[in-house]
Amino acid sequence: MTANTQLQPTAGDQPSPSGPKGAAPRWRSDLAAGLSPRNIGAVYVLIVICIVFSIWAPNTFPQGATIKQVLDNNAITALAALALIVPLSARVFDLSFAYVMSLSGVTTAHFVAADNWPVLLALLAGIGAALVIGLVNGFVVVIMRIDSFIGTLATGSLVQAFISFVTNDNSINSERLSGSFSTMSQGSIGGIIYPVFYAVIIAAALWVFMDHTATGRRLYATGFNPNAARLADIRVNKLRFCSLLVSAGLAGFAGVLLASSLAAGSPSAGTSYLLPGFASVFVGATVFKHGRFNAWGTIVAVLMLGTGVVGLGLVSAPLWAIDMFTGVVLIAALSANSFERRNLLRGRGTGSRWLPVRSRTT
Amino acid sequence: MTTGPAIADPAARSRAPGIVLRVSELSKTFPGTKALDDVTLEVAEGEIHALVGQNGSGKSTLIKVLAGYHHADPGAKAWLNEEPFDVADTADSRHHRLRFVHQDLGLFLELGATDNLALRGEFLLDPLHRIRWRAQAAVTRELLGQFDLDLDLNRPLAEATPVQRTVVAIAAALVGWEGGPGVLVLDEPTAVLPPHDVNRLLEIVERVRSRGTSILYVSHRLDEVFRLADRVTVLRGGRVVQTRPVAGLTTQTLAELMVGSEVDAGYRAGLTVAPDRPIVLRARDVRGRFLAGVDLDLAEGEVLGVAGLPGSGRNELPYALVGSLPGATGRISVADSEWQPVRKSASFDIPLVPADRAGEATISEFSVKENLTLSVLGRFRRFGLLRRRSEQELADKWTETIEVKAASPDDLITTLSGGNQQKVIMARCLARDPRVLVLCEPTAGVDVGTRQAIYEFIASRARAGLSLVVSSSDTGDLLALCTRVLVMCNGKVVREIAGDDITEQALVHAMEETEQQ
Repeated sequence: MTANTQLQPTAGDQPSPSGPKGAAPRWRSDLAAGLSPRNIGAVYVLIVICIVFSIWAPNTFPQGATIKQVLDNNAITALAALALIVPLSARVFDLSFAYVMSLSGVTTAHFVAADNWPVLLALLAGIGAALVIGLVNGFVVVIMRIDSFIGTLATGSLVQAFISFVTNDNSINSERLSGSFSTMSQGSIGGIIYPVFYAVIIAAALWVFMDHTATGRRLYATGFNPNAARLADIRVNKLRFCSLLVSAGLAGFAGVLLASSLAAGSPSAGTSYLLPGFASVFVGATVFKHGRFNAWGTIVAVLMLGTGVVGLGLVSAPLWAIDMFTGVVLIAALSANSFERRNLLRGRGTGSRWLPVRSRTT
Repeated sequence: MTTGPAIADPAARSRAPGIVLRVSELSKTFPGTKALDDVTLEVAEGEIHALVGQNGSGKSTLIKVLAGYHHADPGAKAWLNEEPFDVADTADSRHHRLRFVHQDLGLFLELGATDNLALRGEFLLDPLHRIRWRAQAAVTRELLGQFDLDLDLNRPLAEATPVQRTVVAIAAALVGWEGGPGVLVLDEPTAVLPPHDVNRLLEIVERVRSRGTSILYVSHRLDEVFRLADRVTVLRGGRVVQTRPVAGLTTQTLAELMVGSEVDAGYRAGLTVAPDRPIVLRARDVRGRFLAGVDLDLAEGEVLGVAGLPGSGRNELPYALVGSLPGATGRISVADSEWQPVRKSASFDIPLVPADRAGEATISEFSVKENLTLSVLGRFRRFGLLRRRSEQELADKWTETIEVKAASPDDLITTLSGGNQQKVIMARCLARDPRVLVLCEPTAGVDVGTRQAIYEFIASRARAGLSLVVSSSDTGDLLALCTRVLVMCNGKVVREIAGDDITEQALVHAMEETEQQ
């Protein structure tokens, strides 16, 4: 290495191309780009939803209680969705996460209820069980090279089979579960339950990890163009393997909280998070960072969908309205994203014409 | 565009007996370059008409224009069987009598021959709209029978040999054509065939001609032109140099027509390697897909070219050297290290600039800066976090050194021109401070001005002691940069040209002649 120092370019003292001269307009245009609906469309949708329901249900919707209800109802959904950010960034689907949630919940509930383990130890056992599934997923997807969509669907199915075999499809109930085990998710600070704080902490951690570490950048590169990543000396398979461990671990934690909030170990509790989890994380990818799965975008997406659902509940809308709302919002958000992607691809051949997003003329 | 009084005269000429396809005044402008300039081409009835030219001479553009993939510039005129058709109109029904076998064959390798032919033509249906498989198989057998092709019709074509696939592609192109005047365009049909299969394919081509079909045969390989063609059209720089009968031409004269006799005034780095410079890279007996035992030594500051026709191993050797060619075997040593198997070559940290920029190099969702720093992110780590300022400094340093023209390093890389994207990728590789850098097609899709800048930059690095391997189908790259060129054929190095002996003629002759051995 020392013999090659002459290959390094000399460090210039000259100002960079984006130096002070262009600083002021750059700052302003960055702000404009940051506030544009392309960047934070979901935030505007959230505002519109709030306005609509404030007019529709002026006595019930614009209340502090509504905010609390939205947060309480969606903290675990947010945790489930956050679990998916890491693998999806590396373009690996983890469809088994919902079953892993059930598994970790049942495992923890079992050790607390049957063996009277301390809560922390049982929590670790639940997450440990989830990590085992993460290892299996990594083996199936990375080493056996089975397509992650089908591969994790298969492992998820196996997990469900295992849960049903062990529990006979009976929920684990015990008064032990309503003690300190349920406090983990039902305790609150200032009226806001603990899982909301967990979600914020994990979102912040994921934000730092994806945006401010080399590994996060490499994960995105792996997802966007694995061939290029490989040639840029990135260990693509190792990252994919580890991303499945991360999602399993986080899903395991979410599953334990879910069991705690139910004060029971339900063998199928996690399944209902499959769709909301993926929906939120995909909508989240349209927010803040174009096309990149990211933590704060996912949180906004969860809040947006959750607020709509709570609002519809307050105006006593029929049940089908909730599903319709979710479907319409999903298609709207994702079509905006795919439209932009098309332009991006078209831009490959023709230069800057199609990419007005952050480029500017000098 | 093809109607009006202006065409009266050429139309009358095209009525002269035997001209099946005639195009004239055909130009095609891409942003920045004129790929085709006033091209005239006539293909006579029942003739095999060869179209030859160097890389970048406009052969593939011409084929793509004829196929309707590219829009020709306004003003082009074209007749097929004396009927004018509009080459600028991609929805034109010219395909009735003008058929194509493109280089990638356009087959569904997961499906069998029956399906492939039926998808081109039609499925035979019974009254309930079910496919009559037996009748379909009979039709397929008959179509392929003309070419004596012995093939299990229902096995996926992925299991067939390359020559069998090519024949199926030809048969598929001819589906629904009962012979008679018309043109079949074959684009480099032998490029990836093993040598012993080439003869078989040439026989098939002869057989198609005997049905009365004209053939426009595009090839790099001059020996095939001499064996097959009646007439040959030579393209150079988007212009037709000459169209003349093959009889009376020699390989020598034809190669000279392709290359041009004028001394080309392209860039020359004029690099030399002192004999006492140490060897930094040794590779022995490198084998793998398209590679049949390659040895090479690379001295410090040397720029080693790799030339060869498609399928010669030219494209694969660079990947084998950096440890990215699956299944490659052989030994490699960098700077007198222990010998290592090439599959472990990644540990030597030899960066590679790939030919396929969009597919293997740029990450289009990333900014210029993120693309540039991708392979050295580990350096900006402090307490596990990326130091944004160090990253920015490195990006600024390199965009300045290599003169990337970008409004801001935070712009998406897709906002840059091809040449500037290439510079960013080269900076990404050089940021790793390598002793050896491997370049594949370094100036593909790069405009002329930037090409010069890239050559100068590479040359300056070589003078500073960097060793390079440059694999290119563009002889311009090799002429501009290389101190030594290895000419490859059938996976082996068959000739080595060094120093002042590296001329365009020498390179083209070496590639063509070795092909005939």
